[in-house]
Amino acid sequence: MTRAMGFHAPVTLDEATALLAADADARCLAGGATLVAMMNAGLVEPSTLVSLRHIDALRGIEPVGDGFRIGAMTTHRETASDARLDGGHAAVREAAAVIANPAVRNMGTMGGSIAFADPAADYPPALVAIEAEIEIAGADGRRRVTAADFFTDWYETALAPGEIVAAIHLPAMPAGARGTYHKLARVAGDFATASVAVVLAMAGDSCCHLRIAIGGCGPTPVRLAEVETRLIGGELDAPAVREAGEMLARAADPVDDARASADYRRLVIPRLLARAIERARAGGAS
Amino acid sequence: MTVTFAVNEVERVIEADPSETLLEVLRERLGLLGAKRGCNQGVSGACTVLIDGRPMRGCLSLAMNCAGRAITTIEGLAQGDTLAPIQQALVETGAVQCGFCIPGVALTAHALLATNPDPSMDDVREGLAGNLCRCSGYVKLIDAVRRAATARGQR
Amino acid sequence: MTAVGVRLPRLEIREKVTGRARYIADLSRPGMLHGAILGSPHPHARILGYDTARAAALPGVHAVITGVDIGEGLMGAFIKDEPALARGKVRYVGEAVAAVAAADEATARAALRLIRVDYEELPAVLTPEDALAPDAAIIHEGLADYFKVFDAQCDGNQMSRTEIVEGDVAAGFAECDVVVEGTFETQAQNHLAIEPCGALAEVDEAGRVTLWSANQSVFRVQANVCESLGLSMSRLRSMTPRVGGGFGNKMEAHVQPITVALALATRRPVKLILSRIEDFEMIRARHPYKIRMRTGARRDGTLLAREVDVLVDGGAYGDDSPGVLGYSLLMARGPYTIPHMKASGRVAYTNKLRFGAYRGFGNPQTCFAGETQIDEIATRLGLDPIEIRIRNAMRPGDAWFGGQKVLSNGLVTCLEKLRDAVGREHGGDAAPGKRRGIGIAACAHISGLLATGAIVRLLEDGTVMLNTGAVDIGQGSDTALAQICAEALKLPIDRVAVAVPDTDGSPYNWGTTASRVTYTTGRAVVAACDEVERRVKERAAALLECDAGDLELRPGGLVGIKGVPGMEISFQVVSAVSHWREGGPIVGANTFVFDQATIDPKRAAATGLPFGRIGVYSFCAVATEVEIDEATGETRVTRAWEAVDVGRAINPAMVEGQIEGGFVQGQGYALTEEMLWDGGRLANPSLMDYKAPGPLDSPREISTIIVEDPQPEGPFGAKGVGEIGLVGVPAAITNAVADAAGIRLRRLPLTPERVLGALLER
Repeated sequence: MTRAMGFHAPVTLDEATALLAADADARCLAGGATLVAMMNAGLVEPSTLVSLRHIDALRGIEPVGDGFRIGAMTTHRETASDARLDGGHAAVREAAAVIANPAVRNMGTMGGSIAFADPAADYPPALVAIEAEIEIAGADGRRRVTAADFFTDWYETALAPGEIVAAIHLPAMPAGARGTYHKLARVAGDFATASVAVVLAMAGDSCCHLRIAIGGCGPTPVRLAEVETRLIGGELDAPAVREAGEMLARAADPVDDARASADYRRLVIPRLLARAIERARAGGAS
Repeated sequence: MTVTFAVNEVERVIEADPSETLLEVLRERLGLLGAKRGCNQGVSGACTVLIDGRPMRGCLSLAMNCAGRAITTIEGLAQGDTLAPIQQALVETGAVQCGFCIPGVALTAHALLATNPDPSMDDVREGLAGNLCRCSGYVKLIDAVRRAATARGQR
Repeated sequence: MTAVGVRLPRLEIREKVTGRARYIADLSRPGMLHGAILGSPHPHARILGYDTARAAALPGVHAVITGVDIGEGLMGAFIKDEPALARGKVRYVGEAVAAVAAADEATARAALRLIRVDYEELPAVLTPEDALAPDAAIIHEGLADYFKVFDAQCDGNQMSRTEIVEGDVAAGFAECDVVVEGTFETQAQNHLAIEPCGALAEVDEAGRVTLWSANQSVFRVQANVCESLGLSMSRLRSMTPRVGGGFGNKMEAHVQPITVALALATRRPVKLILSRIEDFEMIRARHPYKIRMRTGARRDGTLLAREVDVLVDGGAYGDDSPGVLGYSLLMARGPYTIPHMKASGRVAYTNKLRFGAYRGFGNPQTCFAGETQIDEIATRLGLDPIEIRIRNAMRPGDAWFGGQKVLSNGLVTCLEKLRDAVGREHGGDAAPGKRRGIGIAACAHISGLLATGAIVRLLEDGTVMLNTGAVDIGQGSDTALAQICAEALKLPIDRVAVAVPDTDGSPYNWGTTASRVTYTTGRAVVAACDEVERRVKERAAALLECDAGDLELRPGGLVGIKGVPGMEISFQVVSAVSHWREGGPIVGANTFVFDQATIDPKRAAATGLPFGRIGVYSFCAVATEVEIDEATGETRVTRAWEAVDVGRAINPAMVEGQIEGGFVQGQGYALTEEMLWDGGRLANPSLMDYKAPGPLDSPREISTIIVEDPQPEGPFGAKGVGEIGLVGVPAAITNAVADAAGIRLRRLPLTPERVLGALLER
């Protein structure tokens, strides 16, 4: 491709947001896994690229209390291999581990991925189930939104023009919580045909914490607080879980596409949910 | 615009447009034709090169964003006439057919063995998961990686 | 044997592992321009006019061409119905309508966006059923006038119709104790060679064209380009660099005619490489089939009758479709002695991209149906699936459907070895929620067909130059042919060099297709080497003052007197004398056209069969173990076994490579690969949306068992293996699914959705 395109490599977040605010056709460049693919396909033609590569404030996974702050530029590989992301936080680690393939995981970043908001991507349901918060930086300053509020529609987020994801905050999980991400895909590394993220905690045989989010089955992750409320306090027996899955399937809004039909997705949601819950109770994906 | 990065241990100063991918720069400006364009979307794996020792997609990397990095291409794997263990293993196992995927496979496997010198069959299958091959059915490619691991271990 | 049967590394292995192999996208010529193609946005439309002025005026653009710039030529393997650029109308979304040559690819593509074409949309005909309906819009109005190489029975949108009958199926079915019937459906599969199609053409001062392209036949390229552009074949030289995979997609024309047209228009070298999306949308794919089949047997499992009728989607241009139709019917009886057989079918034009040659060439489709029905009969009769196949298997000397006697036939050995390898395992060890099963299929596939040649030259120093014109597309033919030549002349392999295929200097070779090169070209190589041997002995006899009949070749390039070790001279001496003193340089040459008739008119009647001599037969028995997830319908192949009779494995590692690669490509066809249309437009023309198996999707174990039942006139007994590894895989998988879960799927691919649907209905 040869186009006269600008390129900046700021070292601070403020510089980056200022550059983006100054030019409506500027795009920020994280790992490139999505943006460059779109440029290659002629789907986007930025006037200027603002590389985030040298901004230290966007890097690293840092413990914050019993939670974590994941810098937007953290690669999927870094997330997938960070053993500190266990317990309930394992859901996001498991999601990172099944994104695409090793080479893309070496390049792609959590911030870049969630900013694109592909409804079949792996982070969104995991972040919703963990009740993560997305820290957003813009020329006017910082703000936070919940993951659920961040993903607004097909390929759309709460980011205003010129804003970028600065970090993803994972809150502390209840004691003994376990999280998992379970994905159904046509081949290894494909986007999710449908996926389930679960974070749960048991007190003996009784469930004391439960968050469920479904991916790949609508414009945004599907979560129903009432499903969770019904199951909390119970033993997560098969009929209750199936009923919950069916409620989620009815709330989902999947489409027919190359991966599967909407009907199939609704059909498998309860089955995937059962698997995910079983897996979370057993301690997560092996 | 200008960007500087190392390619096969030699520093290169590249004049390129920011829209140029690393793959385009390697092939068209540096004459390193081993990395291939299979899909330009990062799926085939034929464009895989090592950046700071890690396999990444040349077609999804912008050259301008590689300042200061160390790029290894297939041309940089052999030391003179001496093939790297993975290259030698690919020769010995009969794994190579059309060869189009091989630069990406060899580099990916080379990096895998550097961090996991004794990979299990599953480790190899996972490690090569991003390299599509339409000719081999993967059987001999996987054999080659494990053979290379053994050969490395014997040095 | 010192060369044949050896697992020799490929001749070009070092360049491939060091990244120095040069494929079409790696080539460049001084002053080279870059080409790009504008595809039609409509599936069916008349072209009313073009406005290319803005595109031509873009700085950096050297030429803009359309169908009106390139004459009236038409190409096509069986029906010459296809122009290089759309002329008068477009017939599929993505059909090449215009092309640009510019200083760089980006400029060429930018120029495409400036080309205006005015269309009058016509009704799009998107299925074969619609195409054959009485009121269907006609896709090729000039069909009756096209040149056809056989009696195609073209009519309306019917491209070709074929029927082969042997025996009396009505009588046969009447005697059956069990008859199974079914309708099967298969999808369009993309070849997905990792290298997209491309070409580079250059014109010299005299107007002669030199053309490099990724292809499976330099000669088919030459013919297609010259026919479509109206060039004399002696004015075009066609060559190939390394090819990054060809599974039928690169056998007939792709971008070569357009690239040459751009080079002629600009008088500059032009390189044109397709993007992956263009490769999906513009080139070709495997024929979708609808198959109705019934098979009947006696209670004891003896197969008596089969009847099959197929309806094939041919796409917008004829390409290899009549051949695929005919071949799929010829193969539909399977490798069994079923006495009563009727196979019929039609292929229709539709407004989708042309469907063409693809590994298996129609056999995977009818084999899918046929091997499913063998299994269904076995189940109904309580017979073991391998035993019923052994019972009915052809034996050496039995005739194929149509009457051709098959002399080399290792099928029973394949089935027996498969039985031993797979053992009596059935299903066990599945985790909770999963079901495991094992399925079998048996099949045959030809190798052979059409013309080939070999020229073997003794160079001055006694080393050898082998020139066959065969394109090595990665399957290893250069190496295999060198091994055959080395063995025939008792030379070390490093004294045999293989010339690059070049229409200027190579003998005609129809192409690398139909699993034919080892067998057909190998035969020619052996014959050419025989002639070299004869001449060497003649010259040596004069030098050693003996009779030529007293001489023998000895390893290492020597010829000596039998029984007298030490009385010998080298090829080097013989050749030097031949060059410099008398006799003339030694050259052995052989050419032939495959000559065994397919149909014996005393046994069978065939109408509309577009080939009269098809080839010799290889055989295969394949087994797969699958695991089904009962909750989701996901189906994986956990283990696979393939026993293949290849006559003689010239290079066992390469033979295994063909079988292993064929298996996984067949697995993709069976489980995950499907080109999907949204109206006339391909909905998933990218690797994001079209999914072929990667390492994690392939079985952890593929066991290959090489069986050798020598083909009498094959080179050292060899016959082909390129395609057969794929042919039986879909049936083996669906039979395994039936074994695992008692469900019969008759539509490919077996998506989780289809499997789950069948599980729920059970």
